[in-house]
Amino acid sequence: MDLINVENIRFEDKISRLFTPARTVFSLGPVNFDLQAGETLAIIGDNGSGKSLLAKLLVGLETPSSGKILLNGLALSTAHHKQKCHDIRMIFQNSTGSLNPGITVGAMLEEPLILNTELNVQERLSKIDNTLRLVGLLDDHKFFYRHMLSDGQKQRVALAKALILDPKVIVADEPFAALDPSVRSQTVNLLMGLQRDLGLGFIFISHNLGIVRHVADKILVMENGAVIESGKTDVIFNWPKEDYTKRLIETHQQLVNSQYN
Amino acid sequence: MILLDVKNLTLELELAGEWVKALDKINLVINQGQIHALVGESGSGKSLIVKAIVGALPNKRWKITADRMNWRGQDLLSMSVQKRREIVKSDISVIFQNPINSLDPLLNLGDQLKQSINIAALPKHLFWQRNQYKNRRVEELLHRVGIKNHERFLKTYPHQIPSNLLQKFMVAMALASDPKLIIADDPTRGMEVTSKAQILRLLSRVNQVKDTSILFVSHDLLAISSMSHCMTVLYSGQTVETGELQQLRKRAYHPYTQALLDSAPSFRKDLPPKSPLTTLAGTIPTLHHLPIGCRLGPRCPRARKECVVTPSPRKIHGHYYSCHYPLHWAGR
Repeated sequence: MDLINVENIRFEDKISRLFTPARTVFSLGPVNFDLQAGETLAIIGDNGSGKSLLAKLLVGLETPSSGKILLNGLALSTAHHKQKCHDIRMIFQNSTGSLNPGITVGAMLEEPLILNTELNVQERLSKIDNTLRLVGLLDDHKFFYRHMLSDGQKQRVALAKALILDPKVIVADEPFAALDPSVRSQTVNLLMGLQRDLGLGFIFISHNLGIVRHVADKILVMENGAVIESGKTDVIFNWPKEDYTKRLIETHQQLVNSQYN
Repeated sequence: MILLDVKNLTLELELAGEWVKALDKINLVINQGQIHALVGESGSGKSLIVKAIVGALPNKRWKITADRMNWRGQDLLSMSVQKRREIVKSDISVIFQNPINSLDPLLNLGDQLKQSINIAALPKHLFWQRNQYKNRRVEELLHRVGIKNHERFLKTYPHQIPSNLLQKFMVAMALASDPKLIIADDPTRGMEVTSKAQILRLLSRVNQVKDTSILFVSHDLLAISSMSHCMTVLYSGQTVETGELQQLRKRAYHPYTQALLDSAPSFRKDLPPKSPLTTLAGTIPTLHHLPIGCRLGPRCPRARKECVVTPSPRKIHGHYYSCHYPLHWAGR
């Protein structure tokens, strides 16, 4: 059975003014895809093509105007809000900006536990310790504030924040863009390892086609709010159909090949 | 001809009552018509070098010392501020990292671009024709970097424009004064592949047609290796390795360079998908906790007792490296 099914999801951004009919500014979709446990889906496309919006729709930050998301065959709706918070978690683009500067890492990680689980203080603390160790940090890091962490560590805390509720799917909006090469490959390794161990479904947005090719099983190509192509990674990379995808892959290949001659 | 020659540039700043060397004996030589890449992770001092070259660091908080820092034979450090500014204005232009912070929010983009046009380079004209010529030049510059409807674009303010377009605009601004050296501080950050390739093509075309040198500062190895001739690798304020790009790619001597090259999956054709990438353990040290000696020491897989002493640069066929146990000494 599929872990997550997205069926005909649509979203329309409308501006309505007095005396004039509502005007659609941006429309997304229809988007269809499915993901098995342990699989990775990459979303690529231009700036402003609706990638981040799609990610927000998946985690429930925006409500789709039509269509549905099925998790393990069950529809996610407002009735299952708590389950959605549990099972689909997001890592935001800017890991510095998404951490609260005023509280410690431990307090940050405790918040979703208080809101979504019935664990007591002891259990919460041990859960936090376990999660921190899972992402390669130490127990003591729960006493740290945001400014005391390096870039790579912040990314790890962001990941711990996503993992703390034992989700089934992680949605990440450009998780590698702001990282340096050596820290980036550490994070890639960490995510791939966790995926292997925990069977997570991983959906991520990236501009870096090298990493997309390395990590993703499936690719979704978006242009102007529409999914123009989707399929297996090596199919898309070797036999792209649409003009936009062809151009994208070709430029990437040119950049890669230019180092070998 | 050597355009810029920097030797043993050291930059110190005061942190909690101590002077910390943010840059430690940096060497950099840029020849005319060359694209020189400066690679390093964040916090390695790439942007500090750029600022030290153009003199954008206020003297009070920083101590800048160098054995030499020459621009076409003239010493930049000992000359007057006025003269240095003139040189930087006419010969060097910088594409700064964060366009939204480095543009004036109160002027529209057209005015800002017009300000940086070199009047001497315009065709011979009388003073009332100057604006007309400037407008023509502005239009031409924008089309060159791939910005289409220029009339609307020039009337807007920086906050109204998406950052990747602003980045292209910064490139146009850098080209406006017909400089001899363009310093591009991460010009392709956060761009998607097609516009990145466009900017890279533009920069290398400028380099070929006008013989402009480019100092390309970035950590995107893919972009760097598609266009540059030489490369300098920095780690936490120390130059680690300098040499021709082809040589460096074929055979790196320093463990850090090798780790950097290995960390990009696009560089290795034989890498099976989903296999773990090679990395160095640990993270970049902060300025408060710099290790002594070779700063890579705590993370280096080949580190030994001698690495607490800063290694001096050694040279093999125009290829400098500073390491006590370089990679080609396999057995010893």
